[in-house]
Amino acid sequence: MGQGKQHQAVLSNGLQVIGETSEDNKSCAIGFFVNTGSRDESEPEAGISHFLEHMMFKGTKKRSALEVTYHLGNIGAQANAYTSDENTVYYAAIIPEYFEDMQELLSDMLRPSLVQEEFDTEKNVILEEIALYQDRPHFYLFENAISEYFAGHPSGNSVLGTTKSVSAITRDQMADYFERRYCPSNITLVATGKYDWDSFLQRAENHCARWKDLETSRTTERFSPDSRHKTFTKKNITQSHVVLMCDGASAQDESRYELALLATIMGDVTGSRLYWSLVDTGVAESAGADNDAKDGTGCFMAYASCQPENLDKVVDTLRTTLETPLDFTEKDLEQAKNKLLSRMVLEGEMPLGRLMSLGLEWNYRKVLHSLEGEIQRVKEVSVDSIRKALSERPLSGVCEYTLVSE
Amino acid sequence: MITTHQCANGLAVVVEEIEHVASAAYSFHIPGGILHDHEERVGEAHILTELTSRGAGVLDSRALSDSFDELGIRHSESAAHNRFVYRGSLLAEHLPRALELVASMALKPTFPQAELESIRSLYLQDVYSLKDNPGRWAMTELTQRYYPEPYNRPSIGTEEGLQGASIESLRDLWARCYSPVGSVLSVAGNVSAQEVIAQVESVFSGWKGDELSVPEFSACHDGQRHHINSDSAQEQIVLAFPAPKFLDELYYPAKVANSILSGGMFGRLFIEVREKRGLCYTVYSRHSANNDYGTTVAYAGTTPERAHETLEVMLEQLGSVEGLTEEELGRAKANLLSSIVIGEESVASRCGSNASDWWLLKRIRGVDEISAALQAVTSEQVYEVFQQFPASRYSLLTLGQRDLADKVGA
Repeated sequence: MGQGKQHQAVLSNGLQVIGETSEDNKSCAIGFFVNTGSRDESEPEAGISHFLEHMMFKGTKKRSALEVTYHLGNIGAQANAYTSDENTVYYAAIIPEYFEDMQELLSDMLRPSLVQEEFDTEKNVILEEIALYQDRPHFYLFENAISEYFAGHPSGNSVLGTTKSVSAITRDQMADYFERRYCPSNITLVATGKYDWDSFLQRAENHCARWKDLETSRTTERFSPDSRHKTFTKKNITQSHVVLMCDGASAQDESRYELALLATIMGDVTGSRLYWSLVDTGVAESAGADNDAKDGTGCFMAYASCQPENLDKVVDTLRTTLETPLDFTEKDLEQAKNKLLSRMVLEGEMPLGRLMSLGLEWNYRKVLHSLEGEIQRVKEVSVDSIRKALSERPLSGVCEYTLVSE
Repeated sequence: MITTHQCANGLAVVVEEIEHVASAAYSFHIPGGILHDHEERVGEAHILTELTSRGAGVLDSRALSDSFDELGIRHSESAAHNRFVYRGSLLAEHLPRALELVASMALKPTFPQAELESIRSLYLQDVYSLKDNPGRWAMTELTQRYYPEPYNRPSIGTEEGLQGASIESLRDLWARCYSPVGSVLSVAGNVSAQEVIAQVESVFSGWKGDELSVPEFSACHDGQRHHINSDSAQEQIVLAFPAPKFLDELYYPAKVANSILSGGMFGRLFIEVREKRGLCYTVYSRHSANNDYGTTVAYAGTTPERAHETLEVMLEQLGSVEGLTEEELGRAKANLLSSIVIGEESVASRCGSNASDWWLLKRIRGVDEISAALQAVTSEQVYEVFQQFPASRYSLLTLGQRDLADKVGA
């Protein structure tokens, strides 16, 4: 289990390369983790990180968009990408015989040509994606709640942007954003599974060393919430939705482990406090809790969806649960730990699971953790350490956002 | 290594030993599901599976849930259209306890009356919230119109059906369906096949029952046009038409054909509808097949002003594979083959595909057999799929602001 060997290097231009090799796997995973997202956008750029992520598949100096797509297909790459408020990740699972090919292709893709015609077509796809999420009440609430909660702080920036902001983005703006954010020192190349590290690193040098380095930075001020509440409305929705948000542990806070376990105790899919009080009883359709550990700040949240007539009761229960975070037993903590540990082990057995875990860990903390090390840290969490974490950083400034039918 | 074993009472056991992992997964399929619900109580299969997890043997709801959670076992109990399914993933050392709990739920449910109303409320909310997810709503509406009864039942049940379930009707459903005959328990991970089989023989030994008869499958209703008005931001376009069954000689060619249409990002639908024209974010087709029928379903979600063009391009692509090159065929296969190898890394996916194979074939195909069958598919066979199972037989349902039925003819 998790007996992968770990590796790390930095290319002359600042590009960071990390990996874990394991002979037990039958496949590999490879990805570029770019330390950028909607929080790094100026106001006129709203949605540009995500739009650019799409453009990464639309052609390079030596390949047209179709050539990129067909090449991915020819080697059976299970490739995709995602953009969040602070990370943009391009990744693929691949069988070992095509690993080398995949590395060359993905490296080429990361220097896109941003052809005007492709840019115009893809803009329509993005506008469709925005429309798609407008029809999903849960996403609609979260999008609006995050923007309200983090008002004035870059973590409130929307990943998708709006129809208006995306429509106005130009190719030149995107080229400028790319130049600013996709410099080698802001990118980490990661690979996991069955491959040879030395030749992987050598190829990284061949494919990426000429990428020009520039300086880039991100401001990571801590956000302090003030208690607020707001109700959003939407036509013709049947269920009501609510999310409570408050101060949480950041990606750099050591207490993120404590808060991850606290969120599991409070809101795991089964056997959690919210499960027993709301879902098991049928009062809510679903309920959960999460600590979103962001760069320099954190947000702890509890959420649920229910029938409109139960909304008040559901909000009260979520609020009471957040107000009494220590209302659990040693046994509850043991259960939460065991759930988290078995998930970590299962996820860690797949190259793609390890890729995500290693890549994000490196993006936030510049450390390489073994699966065993992570497991050990989770095991060390105690009722006392959770109490201590909460006394240093209470779940304060609770904000309440609801979505109901118009 | 894969070992299969048939218990005397009819229960089949499939175990795949994977030594280099620390985990294990189980997947237990019992004939039954929504198809077998009383016609006035469609959806009670969901209530039944959930109820078996709320009290079994000597354990009440809380104790049963704690027993899983204490060992960090991630588990789910659900009803599909033709079976009840118990799944879990866990650290391999906890498998014996997990199997005890699963056997207890299937064989000794206590039917606690106190749990019924809360379970009913959960599934009713699922029905009510269907309209909050337009894509799922459209698919459910098409299913109801395309498949013959009772295969057209909504997978989440109906409001009236869920309202009609009682402890008595649920006991009756359980007694009628839960039987070892036709059931399969699949396990994969760092386990010993010999030990798993010995334990299953012991904990399931008292289980008796007959074969459940399955409702006959008559013909699908193809060639239909439907529209449902909704003021959602996007127009939902779903269509379905007959495709090769699981045992059809064109089954593997149909898999390759669908990969040509909808594989990875290179599929023709994605390229033509999204990449070249930017008409939508999501567009795909899927081929599903069992021993009774096969279906190709295609979907796109797009804003109303682009809906008509989207549908036209989709129909054109689904209708013909003209210009198919060897390179394109190779790409479609490479994608299917690599997803098999990559899927093998997950114990849950191994155990799930073994269970499905047993269900449909009463044997396990294995990666080599599937790979060889896919490799052998020729372009002539792919053309044959398009000829014998033409998209022109499609039934269409649109949901949104624009009725497209008159645009495409009957």
